[in-house]
Amino acid sequence: MSSRLEAEALYKVFGRRPNEAVERLRQGADREELRADGTTAAVIDASFTVEPGQIFVVMGLSGSGKSTLLRMLNGLLEPTAGSVRFDDDDLTSLSDRELRKVRAKKISMVFQHFALFPHRSVLENAAYGLAVQGVPRREREARAAEALALCGLAGWEKSWPDELSGGMQQRVGLARALATDADLLLMDESFSALDPLIRRDMQDQLLQLQDSLKKTIVFITHDLNEAMRLGDRIAVMRDGRIVQIGTAEDILIRPADDYVASFTKDVDRSRVLTASSVMDTDVVGDEVSCGCETATPDTPFAELCAISARLTHPVAVLDAERKLVGRVPRQRLVAFMGDEQGDPEACDSPRDKGGDKVMSRA
Amino acid sequence: MPRIPLGDWVNDAVDWLLSHMAWLFDFLKSVFTGTYDAIDAVLQAPEPLILAGIFAVLAFWLRGTLAGVLTFAGFAFIDSLELWEDAMVTLSLVLVATIIALVISVPVGIWAARSNRVSGLVRPVLDFMQTLPAMIYLIPAILFFGTGASAGIVATLIFALAPGVRMTELGIRQVDKELVEAAEAFGTTPRDTLLRVQLPLALPTVMAGVNQVIMLGLSMAAIAGMVGTGGLGGDVNEAIGQLNVGLGSEAGVAIVILAIYLDRMTSALGVHVSPLGRRAAAKARAAQGLKVWSYRPRPQIAVVGVVVLALVAGGMGIFGGNGGSTTVADSKDVGQGKKISIGYIPWDEGVASTFLWKEILEERGYQVDTKQFDAGPLYTSLAQGTVDFQTDAWLPTTHEQYWKKYGSQLEDLGAWYGQTSLELSVPSYMKGIDSLADLKGKAATFGGKITGIESSAGMVSLLKTKVLKAYGLDKEYKVVDSSTPAMLAELKRAYSKKEPIVVTLWSPHWAYSDYDLKKLKDPKGAWGKGDGVHTTARKGFTADNPVVGEWLKNFTMDEKQLTGLEAEINKAGQGKQQDAVRAWLKKNPGVVDKLAPVAGGSGSAPAEAKRPIDVAWFPWDEDIAVTYLWKNVLERRGYKLNLKQMDVGPVYTGLASGDLDLNFDAWLPYAQKNYWDKSKDKLADLGTWYEPTSLEVAVPSYVKDVKSYEDLKGKADLFDGKIIGIEPGTGEMNLLKTKVLPGYGLDKEYDVVDGSTPAMLAELKRAYAKKEPVAVVLWSPHWAYSQYDLTKLKDDKKLFGEGNTIRTISNKEFPGQYPQLTKWIKNFKMSEEELGTLEAEINKGGQGHEEESVATWLKEHPDMVGRMTPQ
Repeated sequence: MSSRLEAEALYKVFGRRPNEAVERLRQGADREELRADGTTAAVIDASFTVEPGQIFVVMGLSGSGKSTLLRMLNGLLEPTAGSVRFDDDDLTSLSDRELRKVRAKKISMVFQHFALFPHRSVLENAAYGLAVQGVPRREREARAAEALALCGLAGWEKSWPDELSGGMQQRVGLARALATDADLLLMDESFSALDPLIRRDMQDQLLQLQDSLKKTIVFITHDLNEAMRLGDRIAVMRDGRIVQIGTAEDILIRPADDYVASFTKDVDRSRVLTASSVMDTDVVGDEVSCGCETATPDTPFAELCAISARLTHPVAVLDAERKLVGRVPRQRLVAFMGDEQGDPEACDSPRDKGGDKVMSRA
Repeated sequence: MPRIPLGDWVNDAVDWLLSHMAWLFDFLKSVFTGTYDAIDAVLQAPEPLILAGIFAVLAFWLRGTLAGVLTFAGFAFIDSLELWEDAMVTLSLVLVATIIALVISVPVGIWAARSNRVSGLVRPVLDFMQTLPAMIYLIPAILFFGTGASAGIVATLIFALAPGVRMTELGIRQVDKELVEAAEAFGTTPRDTLLRVQLPLALPTVMAGVNQVIMLGLSMAAIAGMVGTGGLGGDVNEAIGQLNVGLGSEAGVAIVILAIYLDRMTSALGVHVSPLGRRAAAKARAAQGLKVWSYRPRPQIAVVGVVVLALVAGGMGIFGGNGGSTTVADSKDVGQGKKISIGYIPWDEGVASTFLWKEILEERGYQVDTKQFDAGPLYTSLAQGTVDFQTDAWLPTTHEQYWKKYGSQLEDLGAWYGQTSLELSVPSYMKGIDSLADLKGKAATFGGKITGIESSAGMVSLLKTKVLKAYGLDKEYKVVDSSTPAMLAELKRAYSKKEPIVVTLWSPHWAYSDYDLKKLKDPKGAWGKGDGVHTTARKGFTADNPVVGEWLKNFTMDEKQLTGLEAEINKAGQGKQQDAVRAWLKKNPGVVDKLAPVAGGSGSAPAEAKRPIDVAWFPWDEDIAVTYLWKNVLERRGYKLNLKQMDVGPVYTGLASGDLDLNFDAWLPYAQKNYWDKSKDKLADLGTWYEPTSLEVAVPSYVKDVKSYEDLKGKADLFDGKIIGIEPGTGEMNLLKTKVLPGYGLDKEYDVVDGSTPAMLAELKRAYAKKEPVAVVLWSPHWAYSQYDLTKLKDDKKLFGEGNTIRTISNKEFPGQYPQLTKWIKNFKMSEEELGTLEAEINKGGQGHEEESVATWLKEHPDMVGRMTPQ
């Protein structure tokens, strides 16, 4: 069973007299002020909790401090202030030796550029974490081979990393992380270096693996689509601070500020939104007027559109007990796609149908 | 700007290091020479062609067939140039320097890679080491390590360390940060991260560093020939010194062959040992299929294989070489394999006389080693004692400055050749210029230049400061400093073109026979009187080798002999000097016996001298003095003494058991009474050689009013309640603590500080220098009484007992075994003045130089030898 990861008021300041800087940050100084003094506040007051079995995505642009935050979670970087708790251990208070033990057994990591050891074969790479733990050769090779098979790399054990394509190399990276049976998986922009198609595959594979393995995963990305696709919960970071934590819908529909909102502009909403967030809940009743197709609150946006296209009236959304919880007019669907949530306005010049004529003649 | 006396500081630092850190340098020297000797022995042992074969096999493994063939051809070529031994010396030197450089540089490089601060500190040091001109530390290296391999290794090391450190640091820093992070993220310990990830991935770069270390080492090893390392560097140095372009290029080509071989092998090794390289090789092998021809051993197997091959070949060389050693007829075997090293400056008369003596001494059973130097390093080496003597000292004028500097550390064994002169010379086609005065106003003809030699040479400074001024030429002419070979090359060039030239030259010189030259007359005598060519030896040489010293003192050659020998040597050519000497000796029979007469009778070495005598001594000043005195004197009489330093108890036991023969420092009948009584049945008393003695507490005489032990009473404050003692447990200390202090009622007031004799003397010296009151435990005779103005405290109650006498004791059998020696010892006496001055001399000479000090003292007391061992 996976464990819960808690980060509390994490600060990371690079430069001279970091503790003083943290104190100033607590008193409301901002990042720019510190930069003038030559210190860099990479992470400021970050607190969050990741429930067991959840994928927690940290999203932000480069320089927002997300990689630094990730490295504090397994102690590669020591927080300037704050604490990290995982599986009843306070990682920030452990000695180096104990910390290494935790990293070897309980936390593993997947890197952006794969970080495979070029002088070790695929199998040796996958078995690396086990070798560090001192697992005997036979056992660790068996477990590594198993992990490789899980990632779809059976038969490639004897190859060398540089003979593999990028996607396959990252599968080796993933297999290396899975082989140790660590509960917590830290993934640092793990799919960013891959081609879009392969990235999709890898995301699918991760979700599929997660269905069966139920790891606690912290995933770093700068791609909101990826964040929405993978994340049970998403934290958006900006300039070292977490500006919003919530589900994909929360971020999309209730952005905490303009910054988050501007982020969500380019998002493919049809993938993220479901009926529950689109539906009009004003007309709640228990009658279903006709026998037409209906939707549930979990129906994805794309499917909702398909249903709507087949109906002449708004789509009814029924809950598990087949009670009407809302309805989705077609206009509303179009409005969500266009990032407009107001009511439709009256037409200014109803006679002008020129556009249609041009279209039909073409 | 004030003058910053950096040079003085450096001089002071060097002096300080020499006097205080000698132990460290000695330790390093023994490490260096030990490693060097071992490697050199392995490389020198096998037949050259077998070793060339082994090198070729290595090349074949590492690079392939062509490399193997070329390697064999290259090394066979070196062998055919008769440079094999020298090439192996150079190779050993480079290998030792490389090994030591790697032992130092790889850890430093790793450290620098992990810490920016260390990196920042190390970098300027490396720059300093790499760019400081080699000469600046090459010559001082002699001061610390003496001439020979270790100085060369140190110089090479200093020069070659930098790339090792740099490339290691670079290699480790180059390893992808994400890989290091990945290792850490999986909980790898820092040590394993280094060993399993960073170093394997950095290995190609580190190996490039190793390659650089070897290359720089090789280039430095050539320069290091100047400090007498021998090998190819020595050949180059020698060839350049004699303007022998042919020999120089032979040695140069041999160096190039070594360099190319080492470079290609190490870079190939770099590819082979790096994990990525091994992987590539494995892949290539898999593609080709396994064939015997493409068999390449794994590095471990290869190393084992090479070692086995080397041992086999070495064994063959050693056992095969046994037949070659020559035996010297017994009666003429004066040297009995004793090693003597002769240094020479590559001037013809020096070469001739040096190889003459090499031949003579070898006929007399010595092992002689000749080394070529520049004048400066040669004098340094002599002063250091790493070279025994040289035959080419131009004294008193030319080498005046060297003599001034080192004369006190050298022995002048007299002139063996007169009629030398220094002069300016012009080719005889320069009409109208016959004397120095004729040069006046002719500056335009000569371009205002006088072609000089080394600016450090005595004759150049003489020329600049005296000769030119005397003839008013100093405004007109400029002396161009260069080197003797450069001067000769310039002379040769100008002579062949019949251009005007004026050079500094000296007679005798072969240039006068090769070219038609005019020595410019010196009517004002500005050059001074001609020098004699002297033989000079390191201090103590004649004491160590009285026979050879005598021979050298009587050595003379006339002009006919010298020119004849020189001609013979010139005819034979480079590298065959000794053959030429043999040929010359054949034509001049009797020279060997004249120059190195062997005493016919047996009187000089009595029969009893055959067995070595074991003499035990205490580290007390009077015993050191008398023991080394006897050693010197008896060795002149053909005895051999083994000296052993021991404590009192063991000496008495050893004498009683017969393991030891003699001890000269028995304080009897009181101080060592208990030891004597215990084993007196098995000991013999050979009589007193010094009396009277006394034990006492002494204070400096500036401490007024303290003349006796009673005076100490109530003055504890003055002396801080302390009496500085010597080793606890000695008879004197026991007497002082148990009898003297209680007897005078001082035991409550004073503490006797246990320590050691040197510590007591150091404390005395310190206090004396500051005029502080101090009370020390002392005894007479002691040199401290001649060094300092001390008051022996009066012992009115005679609590220290009656005076001892210092006697010689031996084991019971000794008088029977050594009747002659026993007679000498029984008649031996020394006065307080003699013992005091001898102790002071030894003390001045310092530890490790006792024999030289005794030899010096004996020179001032010429009658001593005859008095001690009358014949």
